[in-house]
Amino acid sequence: METKIDSMELVYAKPETLTDTPMHYCPGCGHGVAHKILMEVIDEMGITENTIGVAPVGCSVFAYMYMNVDMQEAAHGRASAAATGIKRVLPDKFVFSYQGDGDLAAIGTAETIHTVNRGENILMVFINNGIYGMTGGQMAPTSLAGMKTSTSPYGRDCATMGTPIKMTELIANLPGAYYVTRQSVHTPAAVRKLKKAIKASFEAQKQKKGTCFIEIVSNCPSGWKMTPLESNDWMEKNMFPYYTPGDIKVPQEMK
Amino acid sequence: MDSRQQYAGMTIENMSTPQIKIRTGNQMIAEGALHAGCLFFAGYPITPASGIYKSMIEELPKRNGVAISSPDEISALAYCVGASARGVKAMTATSGPGWSLMIETVQYALMTELPVVIAMVQRLGPSTGGATQGAQGDIFLTEYCTSGAYTIPMFAPSTAQECFEVTTLAMFWAEELRTPVIVLSDKEIGMTSEDVDFASLKSFPVNHRKQIENVNGNSYKTYDFKNLSDVPLFAPVGGKHKTTVTGSAHDKCGALQKNSPETIEVLRHLQRKITSRAQEMAFIKTDDDPKAEILLISFGITARTAREAVKQAREQGIKVRLVNVISLFPIPEALLRNAAIGVHTVFVAEENLTGQYRSVIQHLFENKRVVGINGFGKMITPNDILECITV
Ligand SMILES: Cc1ncc(C[n+]2csc(CCOP(=O)(O)OP(=O)(O)O)c2C)c(N)n1
Repeated sequence: METKIDSMELVYAKPETLTDTPMHYCPGCGHGVAHKILMEVIDEMGITENTIGVAPVGCSVFAYMYMNVDMQEAAHGRASAAATGIKRVLPDKFVFSYQGDGDLAAIGTAETIHTVNRGENILMVFINNGIYGMTGGQMAPTSLAGMKTSTSPYGRDCATMGTPIKMTELIANLPGAYYVTRQSVHTPAAVRKLKKAIKASFEAQKQKKGTCFIEIVSNCPSGWKMTPLESNDWMEKNMFPYYTPGDIKVPQEMK
Repeated sequence: MDSRQQYAGMTIENMSTPQIKIRTGNQMIAEGALHAGCLFFAGYPITPASGIYKSMIEELPKRNGVAISSPDEISALAYCVGASARGVKAMTATSGPGWSLMIETVQYALMTELPVVIAMVQRLGPSTGGATQGAQGDIFLTEYCTSGAYTIPMFAPSTAQECFEVTTLAMFWAEELRTPVIVLSDKEIGMTSEDVDFASLKSFPVNHRKQIENVNGNSYKTYDFKNLSDVPLFAPVGGKHKTTVTGSAHDKCGALQKNSPETIEVLRHLQRKITSRAQEMAFIKTDDDPKAEILLISFGITARTAREAVKQAREQGIKVRLVNVISLFPIPEALLRNAAIGVHTVFVAEENLTGQYRSVIQHLFENKRVVGINGFGKMITPNDILECITV
């Protein structure tokens, strides 16, 4: 896409590393914004040629169509393991994994914990919408207490299904975790914070500091059966009190 | 015509007028399992099998059963096997990618002789493949997943109505033989809504694995048998008898042993107890023409296509016998041989690249032409079959 504006100041352009392909995401879904911000940082840092991404199985299977860097779609839950293999043989490239909560905090739990425990020098992006979006809105380990989903028609019962897992706090305890933060993409202010976090993570990766982990609390209008605006509202009122945005582990030198 | 009288079964409700409801195959697998007394289900979402998970999560709590969401398929099947160790009938449902993860515990269930039913709703593979594309490509992956290629009984429905019947059958044989049993469905059957006549639903008898009566002291052996083909009497964990269960090679007490003659005997018994009942399990549905010159064999969704193709072929004067194989494994050898009497050519229609089922049954048809009709990436159409069988 060519941007040509004469006598006016250019205030916005789509990142070049984001392709022109129309996204398949449902209206209002946070995945698209998260993709864009990630690509914007890659653009600004000028690392497009040096970045490799690993996408999950989940709604973001098609990430490779939108992110114009080398992309692999891993098997369900294995993104951080695949990213490990790539990073180990290409230690000077920027490597990130991008996973939903089912992928990262359910079926990929072992990979998540061990990747961080080794302090694998990658960025892990974790989109938490509290549900298995792609397969039809089933209850995930992250679904909120009492939350009704297609497989918790009576609401999530924490007595039998446990309390929603805070994977981000969990991995923050591991020494391999260098920088751990929880962000969102539902307002311009949130987007600016996320951008800073992504940039800080890639900077840390350059200095081989260990695993950077960014949770993005997000919405799933279709799975939650809400309009986009309702879903953002619901997210603020219900997800944020439990998955509270903010830094969780910040190394001294980053403060 | 059903191959065996007992499989003709009883209709579960004695109603004279049809009771038509619109159901998917997935929903009818759940109905069949519940009818057969399944009280434990563990699931992880995966298209095209998620409908079974959803139905069981809705229904089991109403029946004092347990339905549990697992963080992955590895756990889902392991939960089921744990419940089965207590004697509770358990089921899970998945598709190719999830099945791959379950293989460890399928082998464990086979080795520990703990019954469990797994509904395998096939989609296009390999790997993550095509979640919403149908296929019949997982016959080998499913059947031959054990070290040693033990026979895992596998039954394939071809309609939503049959999903019910076949699931009760799978539950029956799992209990009877104390082994994992597969219901092999596919995306088209699993996710398509169609008419089901609840007044004519057939069920196989509802049974329970045979339990040990009181034995004195510690003389109970978890895996006791006289003949290799015997099914050991079951004692539930947490019951009167101390039970020892291991997925390692073991003797009749369930104690880990390497290579002892008794251990080898136990390992042989795991296969023999199944093959010795092969004839009873054998189940095909035949649409006969006594003067048939050709035989068309199919199963699952492709059997539906085959039915239509046969109708059209007969209108053209072609003499064809149709066999819909329900019990894919153990291979119903005698019934298939019998079905081929008098024909010069046997066609096997299935939706996979290499003709998986054909390759394991073709040796039954010596001196006959055996021809595969294969589809891949899309359903086989009646015309595809017609073109092959009319030349
Ligand atoms: C082994 C295996 N099991 C199940 C699936 C089916 N599956 C595909 S996507 C998905 C859920 C993804 O949910 P999540 O990671 O939360 O991402 P979202 O779609 O919500 O972005 C599942 C269970 C699969 N592909 N592989």
